[in-house]
Amino acid sequence: MNPFVFHSPTKVTFGEYVCASAAEVVKEYGGTKTFIVTDEVVKKTGILEPILSAFEENSYCIFTDVPSDSDVDTVNAASALAREFGCDSVLAVGGGSVLDTAKVTNICLSMGGNLLEYEGLNNLTVRLKPIVAIPTTAGTGSEVSMVAMVKDSHEKKKLLFGSRLLAPDAALLDPTLLRTLPPKLTAATGMDAITHSIEAFSTLISMSPFTDALCLESLRLLFEYLPRATKSGDDLEARCATLVASAMAGVSFTNCGVGIVHALAHATGAHFGTHHGTANSIFLPHGMQFNLDVVSSRYALIARHLGLSKSDKDNVAAQALIKAIAELSAEVGLPPRLRDVGIPQLHAALLDELAFLASTDPAIMFNPKESSTQDLVGLYERAY
Amino acid sequence: MSVFSSTEQLQEIMQELWTRIAADPDMSTKLIQSRLISQFRYREPQGLITIDSSDGAEMKIIVGDTDVKPHVEMAMKSDVAHDFWLGKVSIPVAILSGKIVSKGPVNRALALLPVIKPAFAFYPHIFDQWARKARASK
Repeated sequence: MNPFVFHSPTKVTFGEYVCASAAEVVKEYGGTKTFIVTDEVVKKTGILEPILSAFEENSYCIFTDVPSDSDVDTVNAASALAREFGCDSVLAVGGGSVLDTAKVTNICLSMGGNLLEYEGLNNLTVRLKPIVAIPTTAGTGSEVSMVAMVKDSHEKKKLLFGSRLLAPDAALLDPTLLRTLPPKLTAATGMDAITHSIEAFSTLISMSPFTDALCLESLRLLFEYLPRATKSGDDLEARCATLVASAMAGVSFTNCGVGIVHALAHATGAHFGTHHGTANSIFLPHGMQFNLDVVSSRYALIARHLGLSKSDKDNVAAQALIKAIAELSAEVGLPPRLRDVGIPQLHAALLDELAFLASTDPAIMFNPKESSTQDLVGLYERAY
Repeated sequence: MSVFSSTEQLQEIMQELWTRIAADPDMSTKLIQSRLISQFRYREPQGLITIDSSDGAEMKIIVGDTDVKPHVEMAMKSDVAHDFWLGKVSIPVAILSGKIVSKGPVNRALALLPVIKPAFAFYPHIFDQWARKARASK
């Protein structure tokens, strides 16, 4: 067994309409003036109303200008507003981009100075202001994770922030908030969560029995309920299962890392703006085939746990899992190839650039198998 | 107790190591091409080494305090650095467990890890030489 450290700093509360307790939870952590980070889409759905109605007048300030792929300028604007209002706590309500923006804004609000000073891993030295996260998608796991990414639009790169101190103090998992999530986003974010669990379960250097248990149960829930949640947004049982599974996968990957699929997806997202969950879904079967010779026994364990194979031959069971993932992705309506999401023909120079980006992505350091530039180019070609 | 008895010993060993890396074109060429300035900040005992390849022409090895602003900083106990060069530390695991603190675009430094792996072969000799020297001088 690997030596390991397992952190789960976030208090998780799950239940229907639990979002209405946000004001109370913020207060529990000492917050008196709360900076609420969200986006226009969430605002329009009306799901903020029960959350805001519990806050006292003048005890909060709302920032709604978070784009779908948030950046440094957004964080700087949010931080300036939070400081101007004298906020002492943060509440994030939204998908991955909103949650990551709120987490990074909290660094600036708590520590001051320039955001770029805090880029890195384990680089935070003081406890940040209390932050509560309410996810409105089921996939990123940002509500429980110790990492956040935002784009530097000027430098055209993603900035990574990682620290135990970055994890939200509390996450409120309210399945009723997911009812309005469109099928395509439900599917893509769900496949993101599946990718988190598959990759975390295959990180041979950092996996542990703690993370294994979370991965296996989250995969069981996602395989069973993601098709239902995608088909019928009002299926609350399915929304409950996918929301909890996503947080479980989040706790898992934040403790042991992800792998080559995320590296390929990050590079694709940085270059073409492809939705992260969709890109993960496209790359997942290819990344798994690539890793197969070193982790077939791990994939086989998952396949048997999910009842996808009874074979005692690891390779056979592992192939059954890869096939089932491709079928699940198709069932929930996600495209199988990069060309299907508007990515143009990948010529040699572009392939080299994407392969370089993927090879330098921090996610790849946890992959169970080393990859050359040729391997990465081959993966892009196969996924195209 | 640390394997390094003093800041001077730690820094001299690291300087010797990086000098050998700089002299090996298989490693230095790619490090120079990266144009990266990396700084290694050690504690217990303290030490500071900066590798400046920013001009794309040579690797400058700066020992101790400097005004050169690094792109990436890696901070760790000096024993973690020793174990790393012996090939006993997995960087991803050390990062997850908080043993290594990185500041700046960590991906740029991680990309160079495979490049410096050949140095694992000669670090033990450098360290042993110093250990023998230290024993002889007592």
